[in-house]
Amino acid sequence: MANLLAQFQSIKSSCDRLVIAVEDVNDLWPNLKKEFEERFPFKSVFLNNKTRNPVPVDELPADFILTTDARLRSRFPQEQLLFWFREPYATIVLVTCEDLDEFKTILKPRLKLIVQNEEREWFIVFVSKAPAHNDQATKMAKKVYAKLEVDFSSKKRERCCKLDMHGPDSNFWEDLEAKIMECIRNTLDRRIQFYEEEIRKLSEQRFMPVWNFCNFFILKESLAFMFEIAHLHEDALREYDELELCYSETVNMAGRLRDFGGMERGDDQATLLDPGKKALTQIVQDDSFREFEFRQYLFACQAKLLFKLSRPFEVAARGYSFIISFSKALALHESTLPFCMREVWVITACLALIDATASHYKDGLAAPDMEKEFYRVQGELFTLCRTKFLRLAYLIGYGSSIERSPVNSASLSMLPWPKPTVWPSLPPDASTEVLAKEKMILQESPRPKHFGIQRKPLPLEPSVLLREANRRRATLSAGNLFELLDGRPNAIDGSVQMSPLPKVNAMSMSRTYSSPGNFDGSIDRPMRLAEIYVSSEHALQNTISDVNLWKSLSSVKEFEQKYLDLSKGAANNYHSSWWKRHGVVLDGEIAAVYLKHEKYDLAAKLYEKVCALYAGEGWENLLSEVLPNLAECQKILSDQAGYLSSCVRLLSLDKGLFLTKERQAFQSEVVRLAHSEMERPVPLDVSSLITFSGNPGPPLELCDGDPGILSVTVWSGFPDDITLESLSLTLTATNNTDEGSKQIKSSDATMLKPGRNTIILSLPPQKPGLYVLGVLTGQIGQLRFRSHSFSKGGPADTDDFMSYEKPTRPILKVSKPRSLVDLAAAVSSALLINEPQWVGIIVRPINYSLRGAVLHIDTGPGLRIEKHGIEIQKLATVSPNAANSDTPQSSEKDGSPVADEVKQLTLIDGRIELVEWASNITSVLWIPVRAISDELPKGTPAGAVVSQRQSVVDGLRTIALKLEFGVSHNQIFEKTIAVHFTDPFHVSTCVSDKCNDGTMLLQVILQSQVKASLTVYDAWLDLQDGFVHAGKGDGRPTSNFFPLIVSPKSKAGILFSICLGNTLVKDEIKELRPDSILNIRYGISGCRTLGAHSPVAEEPIAADDDSQRLTFRSALVLQQPVLNPCLAVGFLPLPSSGLRVGQLMTMKWRVERLKDLEENMASQNHDKVLYEVIANYENWMIAGRKRGYVALSTKQGSRVEITILCLPLVAGYVRPPQLGLPEVDEANISCNPPGPHLICFVQMV
Amino acid sequence: MASTACFVIVSKNDIPIYEAEVGIVPKKEDAAHQHQFILHAALDIVQDLAWTTSAMFLKAIDRFNDLVVSVYVTAVIHARLMLLHDSRNDDGIKSFFQEVHELYIKTLMNPLYLPGSRITSSHFDTKVRALARKYL
Repeated sequence: MANLLAQFQSIKSSCDRLVIAVEDVNDLWPNLKKEFEERFPFKSVFLNNKTRNPVPVDELPADFILTTDARLRSRFPQEQLLFWFREPYATIVLVTCEDLDEFKTILKPRLKLIVQNEEREWFIVFVSKAPAHNDQATKMAKKVYAKLEVDFSSKKRERCCKLDMHGPDSNFWEDLEAKIMECIRNTLDRRIQFYEEEIRKLSEQRFMPVWNFCNFFILKESLAFMFEIAHLHEDALREYDELELCYSETVNMAGRLRDFGGMERGDDQATLLDPGKKALTQIVQDDSFREFEFRQYLFACQAKLLFKLSRPFEVAARGYSFIISFSKALALHESTLPFCMREVWVITACLALIDATASHYKDGLAAPDMEKEFYRVQGELFTLCRTKFLRLAYLIGYGSSIERSPVNSASLSMLPWPKPTVWPSLPPDASTEVLAKEKMILQESPRPKHFGIQRKPLPLEPSVLLREANRRRATLSAGNLFELLDGRPNAIDGSVQMSPLPKVNAMSMSRTYSSPGNFDGSIDRPMRLAEIYVSSEHALQNTISDVNLWKSLSSVKEFEQKYLDLSKGAANNYHSSWWKRHGVVLDGEIAAVYLKHEKYDLAAKLYEKVCALYAGEGWENLLSEVLPNLAECQKILSDQAGYLSSCVRLLSLDKGLFLTKERQAFQSEVVRLAHSEMERPVPLDVSSLITFSGNPGPPLELCDGDPGILSVTVWSGFPDDITLESLSLTLTATNNTDEGSKQIKSSDATMLKPGRNTIILSLPPQKPGLYVLGVLTGQIGQLRFRSHSFSKGGPADTDDFMSYEKPTRPILKVSKPRSLVDLAAAVSSALLINEPQWVGIIVRPINYSLRGAVLHIDTGPGLRIEKHGIEIQKLATVSPNAANSDTPQSSEKDGSPVADEVKQLTLIDGRIELVEWASNITSVLWIPVRAISDELPKGTPAGAVVSQRQSVVDGLRTIALKLEFGVSHNQIFEKTIAVHFTDPFHVSTCVSDKCNDGTMLLQVILQSQVKASLTVYDAWLDLQDGFVHAGKGDGRPTSNFFPLIVSPKSKAGILFSICLGNTLVKDEIKELRPDSILNIRYGISGCRTLGAHSPVAEEPIAADDDSQRLTFRSALVLQQPVLNPCLAVGFLPLPSSGLRVGQLMTMKWRVERLKDLEENMASQNHDKVLYEVIANYENWMIAGRKRGYVALSTKQGSRVEITILCLPLVAGYVRPPQLGLPEVDEANISCNPPGPHLICFVQMV
Repeated sequence: MASTACFVIVSKNDIPIYEAEVGIVPKKEDAAHQHQFILHAALDIVQDLAWTTSAMFLKAIDRFNDLVVSVYVTAVIHARLMLLHDSRNDDGIKSFFQEVHELYIKTLMNPLYLPGSRITSSHFDTKVRALARKYL
């Protein structure tokens, strides 16, 4: 069999194309060869595969070989059958003939002989040598060709084609190619059928003892090879897959224990991509092949085909699973294989696979999904390789250079140790190496972690290497183990409890056992760690044949370089795949190497990536591993902002992840940096560490413009107290986003305890709206921190919560401006003028406290505040129905201030402070004022038109009030209150009766002007010149009638009897007033809550006291009788036609001098009189001189007429204009004003 | 029962919202990091697989030496229940996942529970551990 196999191999290597035989009958080939070979390779042809389905083949190369060639001769028939794939797939018979006879006699028999072999696929190419211009020859050639066709072609198959050497050959080459392809197709079909049949026969026997895998293999691979040279790679691949399946089925059949293989030097280097690495003849064992080599061979063949199919990603994917399964097979035979053969093989296999697939892979070769998958597999290969490499490195003592990260720990601590039957023993002359290793062990100290973090290092070993190695030594029995480990039971347990500090163990052990010069004879005593390293190193050196791999393990530096390369390779590929997390994790490993080599900037960049991943996904355990490293890098790079933020992130991790001491270290770093090193303020986000929330419950409600005090809960995640230089919070209005947010500050330094703190912030006045908390900012030294995160009110570990919508619970509600207080006059009716009176001001808070309010009182002109104390009292609430009713009883009962609490207040500089109890209730402030009016009220003739309004305006006084209130007197309410003052009486007079004796009865009508009952005690009249009291008396009415009580708004009348007469000497006349004065002594009994009342007294006085009585004086104008006046004014009657609106008319007055003007008028213009027409201009339009002088003789009886043109403007009863004489005293004029006249409205026709 | 088993619920945002070591071997200090690492890395694979099948139980999706990661993906909120275990009891794991899923839904229906936040309910924890004892 072996010779067949060898032959097969050599045939396979010598033959790589389809063969097409050329039977050159007439020595034409040398001329045609070049042209024929130019046809190769055939493009875009179809071949049938095993299932007779046409398969497109892009390019099909082939060889033309003459049948006389040595390669096609000298073959034995049985060989031909077995290696049929190398036989020609088509035979071309090249002939030429120019004569029919020649054809018949010579050529035809010869051709018949050639084509009689039915096995062959053949066709005839007739070459016509006839030149194009020679018709005779051409015709002859045609004839011969026709004859040829008749003889050799059949209806089923054309077997002839014609080549004109000198003529046009347009169709020939296509025809030739089609015929060749037809032949190839037929041959291929036939051969496939043959092989199939043979293989089927053999495979039926595969579970029989006669089964010979080699025969099967030769057949199967022949078929596969045939497919391959026919460029049917897909089919070839399928054959190899079937071969592999069959092999794995039969290789380990019971009772057939074979050598596994892999014992030869160089076998450690994987040959999974190189089918020709080892001759098949070398790996034959009995009737099959050695597994170790053969499986790799099969994979190599598959890989080759896949590469040809441009599917490197499939090579990678298949390769990865091949490596995994092969590694398992290696594990089964580990005891027989060289030390660590498995690991070394996997490393080389991975590297070979990575190189090969990466070099065959071009971007865009596959669909994006496939591409991602390809990179993922590449990453997996790198990772696998890396893990095995780490394991080897650990075995030879580079364990301390391996980062004890979760990824390394997870990979290595669950990966069992190599299991050789016997652990390699120490070579005899290795004492110096052992010493060196021992020194290395002693020197190595774990790099102290930043912040003094004490972390139990993660294990890199599945169990204590020391124990494992010694257990596997032949000479050491298990009983020695206790001795080995100092009899510590927990250390014995190491297989389960991964030893935390193998190095420490090792050191203590080396102390126990090392005695100088005791290196020899290590057979009998347990090996020490250093010895294990050295022996492993030697054993590995024997195993590893790859120079580069050994170099990578030769020194720590080389190891680290390789380690870095592998990690980078894995990371980069993972990054190109979907598996970003794997990539980022490996970035962390790369960063660890950079950190160790003090390439801090590179390390920091990578660590940032890792931290971002873990932090983003909230895997805090993992984050806590890498974050301190990042912090360390940042510290060294003096990236203060980054370092601080790392510290803050460390602090905000779950409290269980670090010891309190470590957390304190983080904090002290933050504080130290904040206070010392930084030059410029550094912003920092501490959202995860300091969270805040408003107090539960309804929001604080403030009125517009009010400051307030806001209480906020702040959760500190710092392990210790921390002092903040300042702290401020922003408030964001929910209704108004344009405004941005406002900052409120805590005034002084704040100390935050760990956990919950309540911070009180004073709040300046805010605009109306609802506010939520925005950002917390503050300063620690030079550090400006800000926090955005709300805490739910729970402990600050709710960082998951941060990624969610924050509940915007309003913390502050500032209501829209509204009236907070109202000031109003308590009394609307008039008060007494010129008397001290209480003015009541109702102070009504509207749902707002007036605590500490100050009222500024500023009285207007004509009003003075008396020196008395100001009183304040509570106002009982007025029920709504009481407000409507105006009966005095009800208002007395409901509206009057409840006099239970009256408090005296003092006015200082026009300000009063309101009392505390009045801050929430409506109160009345009673202010004593006096309205001053110098004018003496004048009486009016009864019936005369008196402008009531005038007197109201005269009595009006104002009080400007300004109330400052609110928390810091920020609210101001200003109001001016009008207070109405009046005289107690309005006086009108009329002469009620003119008696015959010259006396007159003067009726004085008193009309009460106030809402209080007035009591008249006395009344007397000081008469003006020209009048005297009749009778003897002083003009006082009979006192029996007094006191006379005048009810509010009622009238009373007093009659005085007077007569004309002059009692005074002339000198005194000038000093006297021209008016009579009515004096009334009266008392008032009113309530200040209703209106006028008795004057405010300094001290309370009894009601009947005389001094309580007030005096009212009013001037009265008494007119002298008609005869006495100097002048008389008379209104001349109007025309009888009547007055019409819009009709001009003449009005005439006659002025007549009644008396001679004599001495007392000496100074005046005697012959002239000033007149003035007084008219209501709403009713009348006056034309002409309204005012002027008219000449009037001083003689008695002289008269003058004054004429004015008037136009009535309104219809109705209208009083006509009056003529007045301003320069003459009223008493000297006798005048009866005309009554109203009817004015009609004229309809215009 | 599995000697080692680490159970994690991972929220939609890849944040672990519930973690429990439910094996009978008491939790080792250093194992937590490893388990977390393995489970975290397995998220890459879940991401690939979750969309290729309509089944919620993805079975064993990753193997790390002796430890296997089984995953159950909930339909609506895409929470992933991940179990790192060393036993081979597929049916038990499936039942475990289904029951925990039910528990998780009940938790979700709690108005005080904010979806996506950490599950801190001790009731939930007790129930999960009981289920682990029962099925794993």
